[in-house]
Amino acid sequence: MNFLSLHKRLERHSGLLIFGILVVSSIGGLVQVLPIVLDDAHGAPSAGLAVYSPLELEGRDIYIRESCSTCHTQQVRPLLAEVKRYGPYSRTGEFAYDRPFLWGSKRTGPDLARVGGKYSDAWHHLHLLDPRAVVPASIMPAYPWLAQRDADHGRSIAARMRALQMLGHPYTNEDIAAAPVQLEGMTELDAVTAYLQSLGRSMHAEPQP
Amino acid sequence: MKYEDRIVTAFTGCSVLWAVLGMLAGVYVAAELVWPTIDFGLPGLSFGRLRTLHTTLVLFGFGVSGLIATAFYSVQRTSHVRLFAPGLAWFVFYAWQLTIVLGGVSVMAGWNAGKEYAELEWPFDLAIAVAWVSFGVVFFGTIARRRMEAIYISNWFYGALIIVVAMLHIVNSLAVPATIGKSYSLFAGSQDAIVQWWYGHNAVGFLLTGGFLGMLYYFLPKQAEQPIWSYRLSIVAFWAFVYTYIWAGPHHLHYHSIPEWVQSLGMVMSLILLAPSWATMVNGIMTVSAAAKKLRSDPALKFIVLSLAFYGLATFEGPMLAIKSVNVFSHFTEWTIGHVHSGALGWNALITFGTFYFLVPRLAGTQLYSARMANIHFWLALAGVLLYVLAMWGAGVSQGVLWLSLDELGEVRFSFNDVMAAMKPYYLLRFIGGLLFLAGAVLMAFNLMRTFAGRRTVEIAPPAVPAARGLK
Amino acid sequence: MPVKFSIFSLATVLFRPKAVFDALAVNEPSAAKVFFGFALWIGVLPPLFAYIGTMNFGWRLGVEPVFLPQHMVLAISAAYFAALLLGFLSSAVIARWMAITYDASQSLGRCFALMAIVGAPLAVGSVIHLYPHAFINVLVLVPTLIWSMYLLYRGLPVVLQTGPNRGMLMASALIAYLLVAAVSLLGVTVALWGSGLGPLIGY
Repeated sequence: MNFLSLHKRLERHSGLLIFGILVVSSIGGLVQVLPIVLDDAHGAPSAGLAVYSPLELEGRDIYIRESCSTCHTQQVRPLLAEVKRYGPYSRTGEFAYDRPFLWGSKRTGPDLARVGGKYSDAWHHLHLLDPRAVVPASIMPAYPWLAQRDADHGRSIAARMRALQMLGHPYTNEDIAAAPVQLEGMTELDAVTAYLQSLGRSMHAEPQP
Repeated sequence: MKYEDRIVTAFTGCSVLWAVLGMLAGVYVAAELVWPTIDFGLPGLSFGRLRTLHTTLVLFGFGVSGLIATAFYSVQRTSHVRLFAPGLAWFVFYAWQLTIVLGGVSVMAGWNAGKEYAELEWPFDLAIAVAWVSFGVVFFGTIARRRMEAIYISNWFYGALIIVVAMLHIVNSLAVPATIGKSYSLFAGSQDAIVQWWYGHNAVGFLLTGGFLGMLYYFLPKQAEQPIWSYRLSIVAFWAFVYTYIWAGPHHLHYHSIPEWVQSLGMVMSLILLAPSWATMVNGIMTVSAAAKKLRSDPALKFIVLSLAFYGLATFEGPMLAIKSVNVFSHFTEWTIGHVHSGALGWNALITFGTFYFLVPRLAGTQLYSARMANIHFWLALAGVLLYVLAMWGAGVSQGVLWLSLDELGEVRFSFNDVMAAMKPYYLLRFIGGLLFLAGAVLMAFNLMRTFAGRRTVEIAPPAVPAARGLK
Repeated sequence: MPVKFSIFSLATVLFRPKAVFDALAVNEPSAAKVFFGFALWIGVLPPLFAYIGTMNFGWRLGVEPVFLPQHMVLAISAAYFAALLLGFLSSAVIARWMAITYDASQSLGRCFALMAIVGAPLAVGSVIHLYPHAFINVLVLVPTLIWSMYLLYRGLPVVLQTGPNRGMLMASALIAYLLVAAVSLLGVTVALWGSGLGPLIGY
């Protein structure tokens, strides 16, 4: 039976065709994606990595809400110019608590993987509310509503932390119970700033060789 | 028994509407990069949310509606039967359009799963899964009841679209819901990145490439009144395409914190992918060429043939950008945006426009309202996409070289802000290119609307062919 | 009007392309004459302008100019010239090869002449390379390019004597080749930068 007559069977049986497509298109994923997803070594946190505090988590979820990763990457490539510009290159273990990952695919604005500690909180507040007040050429949108909204105004921080706890983030029940209190009196601006200040923290915490 | 064509008309109409709205959102975000204050401090108009709206509307509104319309049209005609379960087909229609409307509103309100091209939150993910599986039931049900022995090639591609996109969507959307509008991905960090680009790259592969190749394989031979040039080539190209595409995702993660072997494998498979991609292009071009002597002057064909040229560009540029030594310059720059749009505008949009110029007069049982308008659209589209792509090439190559440039002392030579400021003129040029392209789409919407306004009731019955024997 | 393809007929080619198309439909020029009398000369212009511009003003990519040592600018200009010649010859030859499929004139001379006419506005427009500011170059060369595309769609059916439909198809097929050639040039360029021919790159 040659190849064409073999194919004749496929294109005469819709069930066979469906099965054929499913098998052939799965191979790549099974060989290339599945081993990585199942290998715990690729999901393990690096030594200095702390889980996001409730305020930082709230800030991260706002960062996702505003799609900041459309323009800001969080991934320093191991290239000389890039390491000089941003700092140590990114390691797998730094992202163990990132659901979803926020590496981005486009750098309209600068990379933020090492932005934590680079500017003061006051700078971030000013910059988020009016980017052109601190960087005249900036094309970043202003986010005036961040200052007007209370952090966790939907009262969902405990539910969110429980979901992450289910996924294996090391939050204790006490952490979750205490979270709403910690966010009281905070604005979304404080939350986003706290998140930005946490970026690259584990790298700074690690002992330098 | 007549073909069920009202649903084709409904999907086509929505597709045109989403094309105009989605491209409008695109032009608006392009303008925001030039004049950053035109969001007027409104969260819904803010760049990040509006850009998500743009990709959602053009991909899932314009693209998928157009694909379902053409799939329903062609599967009936290549199977010689009426659509299976028309009621379910109408459910697909309402479910899909409602998902786009509400999903679009949710994105502007700030619901976002944070994964590129899969930003809709979990309630919408569920709705999409249900609608998509129903689409598959209608499509494969129609094929199962066909009165021809062989399943025509266009249906293989539509079939691959349905099956693979279902697989990608379900796996990539796996998440633990925390509230109605917020969920967390089942995968984290590097693992999430690999799953996401397995999804993201193959959404491009099986939706924007495979799905639209289904469109090509039906409408091109139909319009040229010429059978496909090589049957054997289409078989080889199809299976090579289905097998190879899946592996290429990690080229989106070159030099990232994922294992080196995954990157290299992704690069090699991306290079191999050029073969099946171009085999299909050759098949298409040769089909038209074989019919060149008897072709009528037809605006629809102009669009389809030019779309093949951009298909050739995009499927060559992709593997080239997957080479690590090229990618090191192009990654994270506007070059990527230019590449996406040479495919999305030059290939997907142009072939869809051409198909609609062919389809709508037939659905309406009348002539196209204005061929002259369609010709103007052709030039607006060509100028728009060229302007867009060249602006992004200029911007991307500049970013690539400036970001990596060192001075004599080995320090970075240019500050990020200076490079960013240098992009402004290109953003302006890209905005103008997008505006031209949008103007063409608006012209088409008007033209098709007028065409449809002059419709006569048409119902077409399948040809009287006895059911083939030995059908399973 | 027989077309004398010499560098002195540049003005006619630029400003009365339709007359040249009509003339070419009747008279078949020799490929060698088109190449040595015309294409080679206009092909020298872009690298020449680029050399002078880069030496005097440096690459201006919107930030402070990048100056390169003379030997490197020479090498880049020579590579540019070679790429243009290769692009011209290959598209003319490919046009002739496609002519079989599209039932068009298979005269190599006509294919050379057509590509020369299509390329002429770009070659003259490249005078903007004298000031190698990337954006200003894009701004001038993009409209020129759209004009060239228009000339291709308009001229091909006349010069190569095929019907308007087949001419349109063949022009689109040629555009496919030209787009791929253009993007290859970009790819090769950045790969060369990465390997040291160009500004100092840190990776």
